[in-house]
Amino acid sequence: MATLELINIHKKFGDFVAVEGVNLRVEEGEFVTLLGPSGCGKSTLLNMTAGLEDVTSGEIRINGKVVNQLGPFERDVAMVFQNYALYPHMTVEENIGFSLQLRKRPRTEIQDKVQKVASMLELEKFLHRLPRELSGGQQQRVAIGRAVIREPSIFLFDEPFSNLDAALRLKTRGEIKELHQRLGVTSIFVTHDQEEALSLSDRIAVLRLGRLEQFGTPEEVYSKPASKYVAKFIGTPQMDLFAGEFVEGGYQIGSVKIALPRSLKTANTPVDVGIRAEFVTLGDTGFDAAIRLVQPVGPFTYVTVDWDGGSATARVNGVSHLKPKETIKVDINPNGLLFFDRNSEKRLDLV
Amino acid sequence: MQTSNNYNRSRYRLGIWFTAPAVIVLLIVLAYPIIASLVLSFLKVRFGGDGLTFAWHGVTNYTDLFTNQLFREALFRSVYFTVVEVAAVIFLALSVALMLNHPLGRSAFYRVVLLVPWALSPVANAVLWKWIYNANYGILNQSLIGLGLIKENIIWLGTPWLALNMILIADVWKAVPFIALLMLAGLQNIPSYLYKAARLDGANAWQQFVHVTLPGLKTTLVISVVLQSIWALKVFDLIYVLTKGSPADSTVLLNYLSWRETFSNLDVGYGAAIANVLFILMFMLALVYIRALRPRQTAQRDG
Amino acid sequence: MPRYLTQFFIRFGLIAFTLLSLGPVVWSVVTSLLPLSALTSKPPDLNPLNITLENYSLVLDSSRGLFSGLVNSLIIATFTAAVGLVIGSMAAYALARLNMPSSNKILMMILATQMFPGIVIAIPLFLVMSRTRLVDTHFGLIVVYLSFILPIVIWILKGFFESVPMELERAAAVDGASPIQTFRYIVLPISLPPLFATGVFAFIEAWNEFFFAIILTRINVKTASIAIAEFSGQYQTLYGQMLASAVLASIPVVALAIIFRRFILEGFAEGAIKA
Repeated sequence: MATLELINIHKKFGDFVAVEGVNLRVEEGEFVTLLGPSGCGKSTLLNMTAGLEDVTSGEIRINGKVVNQLGPFERDVAMVFQNYALYPHMTVEENIGFSLQLRKRPRTEIQDKVQKVASMLELEKFLHRLPRELSGGQQQRVAIGRAVIREPSIFLFDEPFSNLDAALRLKTRGEIKELHQRLGVTSIFVTHDQEEALSLSDRIAVLRLGRLEQFGTPEEVYSKPASKYVAKFIGTPQMDLFAGEFVEGGYQIGSVKIALPRSLKTANTPVDVGIRAEFVTLGDTGFDAAIRLVQPVGPFTYVTVDWDGGSATARVNGVSHLKPKETIKVDINPNGLLFFDRNSEKRLDLV
Repeated sequence: MQTSNNYNRSRYRLGIWFTAPAVIVLLIVLAYPIIASLVLSFLKVRFGGDGLTFAWHGVTNYTDLFTNQLFREALFRSVYFTVVEVAAVIFLALSVALMLNHPLGRSAFYRVVLLVPWALSPVANAVLWKWIYNANYGILNQSLIGLGLIKENIIWLGTPWLALNMILIADVWKAVPFIALLMLAGLQNIPSYLYKAARLDGANAWQQFVHVTLPGLKTTLVISVVLQSIWALKVFDLIYVLTKGSPADSTVLLNYLSWRETFSNLDVGYGAAIANVLFILMFMLALVYIRALRPRQTAQRDG
Repeated sequence: MPRYLTQFFIRFGLIAFTLLSLGPVVWSVVTSLLPLSALTSKPPDLNPLNITLENYSLVLDSSRGLFSGLVNSLIIATFTAAVGLVIGSMAAYALARLNMPSSNKILMMILATQMFPGIVIAIPLFLVMSRTRLVDTHFGLIVVYLSFILPIVIWILKGFFESVPMELERAAAVDGASPIQTFRYIVLPISLPPLFATGVFAFIEAWNEFFFAIILTRINVKTASIAIAEFSGQYQTLYGQMLASAVLASIPVVALAIIFRRFILEGFAEGAIKA
């Protein structure tokens, strides 16, 4: 187990700046996700941590020791790759034992350890098969086994679920979380899937164009997003954002005024407002709006409504019998509102 | 300044060690002789009893070249040979590739048929055609007489121009398969949805060929023309086995002339000068080839 | 054009293509199996009862030089292929994966060398090799053959190594493999089929080479190609034997090409149109 510190990390590919001044400290045993869309620098950051890619400037420390000069193996990290990256010409046993073989461990020790790891991951029956003879989920477990057998101080995961179908993805997600709970090894996980990040992580680092946008617990990034970017990236459905304005006693969005508590601080810049679906209710109170879209997703139905100069999505429990073009009363809970500086896009603490 | 970690440094070091042997071999066997050939072409080299003697000869070798009747003829014939050979090869190879790309021609058998002339040793190929062209007993004369197309044997390799063109046919036969393979690969790289889309738009077979196949084959065609031109300029084995330049030097092409001046007439400097002219012709073609390949290269990086 | 007409033309074309491609080859095999008397009668006497292996046994007689030519070609082609494969695969891997600076430019230069007329390098090489007594040695010819084999080997294998997923090598690095171990334990084992086929290709090219062979050999290392060419000059009326020697020299390479057709068709032809 180890701590990991990224200190003012920069990475350039030629003129292209992939990572710009990222600072991150991961505590012992913590599970941290690097989250962002493709091109945000998350994979580059992971590869630099692994020692596969050099940093342009900045320091990487593992357990307080600067490791910039060290190769991947010397850093004592293990990595699970996007396409599993199993050695196609080696059996499952050889795949898992490869790192020990390179270290010239005695044959019996390698066999014992491979056996142990295989039984933990329920792979005993497949030890003599080649990767291509395994299902996607089994290949995924071999990749994890190859990392686990190293007993590394840090696990690195590079979008390990992206090749799995939806059902298997959920199952494997659970397995990884269990593995982390059991072994307690510091883990860095890269993904572009916000739901994956929320469900797995102790803390999430949201990245945007090579910069760290926010680093916080799942609860923090969901409820207190640092910026509009984070607010939009996290949560389903996407947060509704309004470019309205403050008026006497409330906030005006098109024809609708949302009443605000008096205790609100005022801002001296234009302010945008965001609201999540669970704070929008449909029913008997509020203002009139027309239903545009009804999207059932099982436990909830997302209903999008329009009014003059505004539009919002509400989350309704269960199956809704509402129909498009009907008119309905909409209520927006002012306690759920998030305020953002229109120019800097940063969240403002006005409450 | 970015510093590399131990792993990336050792990769870089290994890269140097791994390229070194190939680079050394190529420097010795290619780079040195190319430069030496340039120098030689300005020298008069003589083989004497005590070995070689070199004397400065200025540009005389080159001025001799362009006043020499045989060189000018050889240059003209080389250009003629190359142009006609390439045109014939490209046309035939494209026809073959189109047939083999058609559902009727997909059988593995035809691929094997394609490989046989290609793999055949070039000298064996020359011997084979020498026998076919044989004036007395060759199958060509026998067949043509049998069919009543000619009355008496034609001396295929004994008549100026005719001999050159007979060599050309033998060369085309050997060259078509490889270019057809290139074009087949090119045809298979054209996505099938383009044809589907063209058919939906009402294009007939000819329009599909003009608007989908030809544009899709453009790079392949350029590469084929350039490669085949280079190979046609290099033709040697066929001349050596079939005619040795006869009759009356009418089948002497540049490459053969350069060889003959150097190794039969032992005029090394003059031979090198001819070789350099050939070199310049081919190098210009090589530049076209490299340019044709270049736009395909795109930088890759991950997210 | 109606569909049946198109089909007719294509079938006709395919038959013509097959006859024209195989006809000359078949005719030379037939010739090589017939006695001279059958070949010089008009029309040629194709009676199957005449078939004989006499031509083959005569050309393999040691005084004709074909047998030693075949042995020399085997030695030279084998070594050229083997050395070319070892040196070439290393260079190809370095250019494909080891972050060589401007590896594209190096590759383009290597490709450009492929375009030089042999005569340009043959003259100076001959002068140097005469002085170093390398003319008429196996070693001399192998080194010269490497000059045109290496670029092709590097070119084909670079394309293949680039198709090896980068993540495999990264996984090996994380597992503790040094770059050379990654090459040895991961990249080479999974590249065996193309390595082998590239070797076959190099073998065929070296086996078939004629131009350098005629300049750089005298007596000792005459290759099969030289032997056939000389034979066809010296005994040009012994048609059956002339063709028998051509057939003998072609059998190994044609057989190899057919056995490894899949790779040659898919890998090599595509390689030429993709840099």
